Amino acid sequence: MRAQFRNTVTELAAQDEKLVIVLGDISVYMFKDFWERYPKRFYNMGICENTLISVTAGLGSQGYHSFVHTICPFLTDRGIEQIKLDMCYNNFAGNIVTCGATFDYAWDGATHHAYTDLAVLRMLPGMEVLQLGSKREVDALIRSQYKNAHQTYYRLSDHPHAIETNLEFGKGTLLKNEGAPVTVMTAGPILANVMEACRDLPVNLVYFHTLKPIDKELIERFRDTKILVVHDAHGLYEAISEVPALQMHYHGLPDAFCGWYGTVHDIRKRIGLDPAGIRTAAQALLDRHTPAQRKLTRTGSGS
Amino acid sequence: MHPLCQKIRSEILRVSHKSGHGHIPTSFSIVEMLCAVYAVMRHDPKNPDMPDRDIFVLSKGHASLGFYCALAAQGYFDFDEVYSFGAFDSKFGCHPDRTKVPGVEASTGSLGHGIGLAVGIALAAKIADTSRQVYTLIGDGESNEGTVWEAIMVAANLKLDNLIVLYDNNNSQSRCLPIPNPGERFAAFGCQTVEVDGHNLEAIKKALVKPADRPRVVICNTVKGYGCATLSNNVYEWHRRAPKPEELDKLLGELHAGAI
Repeated sequence: MRAQFRNTVTELAAQDEKLVIVLGDISVYMFKDFWERYPKRFYNMGICENTLISVTAGLGSQGYHSFVHTICPFLTDRGIEQIKLDMCYNNFAGNIVTCGATFDYAWDGATHHAYTDLAVLRMLPGMEVLQLGSKREVDALIRSQYKNAHQTYYRLSDHPHAIETNLEFGKGTLLKNEGAPVTVMTAGPILANVMEACRDLPVNLVYFHTLKPIDKELIERFRDTKILVVHDAHGLYEAISEVPALQMHYHGLPDAFCGWYGTVHDIRKRIGLDPAGIRTAAQALLDRHTPAQRKLTRTGSGS
Repeated sequence: MHPLCQKIRSEILRVSHKSGHGHIPTSFSIVEMLCAVYAVMRHDPKNPDMPDRDIFVLSKGHASLGFYCALAAQGYFDFDEVYSFGAFDSKFGCHPDRTKVPGVEASTGSLGHGIGLAVGIALAAKIADTSRQVYTLIGDGESNEGTVWEAIMVAANLKLDNLIVLYDNNNSQSRCLPIPNPGERFAAFGCQTVEVDGHNLEAIKKALVKPADRPRVVICNTVKGYGCATLSNNVYEWHRRAPKPEELDKLLGELHAGAI
């Protein structure tokens, strides 16, 4: 996805003299071609995330379409006040692009895990929040959003899915509609595991790349079903909750640091976000809420 | 004291008295710095969005009352408007909002933010190949924040010779985390530094236009509450306090007598 980000902005920069890249000493070699072509619009500024955001806001104040990019937790956890005040409160437009989503850097331990960004950034007035899941989404949504008047967050991962989705900003994708009593809702790269888990389960499946604004219209269509939110971060559950009075369940992160190493797949497996774990969670909800099961439960309880 | 600076200080006192708000001593310490900046920068109070204007960012946003009165003195709006300071519907909050007040380029309040914004604005001016200058006023207390030094490192590395930092050296952190020899520190971070009497208008103006090939930092040695002995001798008591009627008369008397 990072390579797609590079390809897209390099192509855009050829037509847009206002496009500027600000890096926090990450992805620098990847941007070598951009650097050589547009040296005045490329800044590997340093390992100083707060200032990267402030400078991006300052560039935005003067009409530049700037992208600031580095590792997710450092830019969004450390830089939250700069994002809130220098970008959002000042209403200076800009684009924040991170890599290192959730457990992408599993082997580096919990200092490099990222799971608060989507939920926290959603709360900032004016902010657009995107958890991109595929290369096609990276290309389409950067193009559609990067030079609007907003502050836009794009979360990239090294583990994209390759599933065809609706590429329109603010729109979800209905991947499966079985008229089932359970609807699985998910976002971002974990979709690959969710699809595998739910392939032959009688559940509906809805996917989002845009967490703010969330596609309320699509969610409303499944109001009368039990909604299982499967997500490897915080933020999607809260976004879906904007639609009032839904019956929701969350299958995702524990309230604990996931202090193991290995790969993203190892950690997903340990916390039940591998296909088998997701399937178990979905099946359990199905078992509780299929009409036949409800009847049996009433009989068994003696009521 | 220059008559314009005396007028601004008297308005600060009156607005604070009327509104019940304001950080008076810190506003007093920057009056000459503000007047010097607006004397040398390209700006048009009747056209605050003039495309080729220079830009000033007040990073220590709690000195907003001094800032508003200085802008009023320049003609951005009438002094009368500032008397709504801190009121519910006022444009003039206790920290400045760029979307409400003509001449305010950045909304500030949390310390250590304005200087980073100013670095980005100065970089934008460089990318655009303009001669626009970017001024920012930071506090010595504010410079306890690490972001000040991050921003300075970045500005020096980018050789932003269009960035001028005014450092209000009013010893606000003498009881906490003082920064001795600030000029040496900014020089060590790659800036051209000059130290002046922060209440000498002409000296500040001269320092602001001194040519440089890197970011400039003008260390302005100031006195919190300059102009009123009651304030400068009791800075902690008066840090954020509005004068009562009898106190206003006393402070105005001291100001007009030229007492320090």
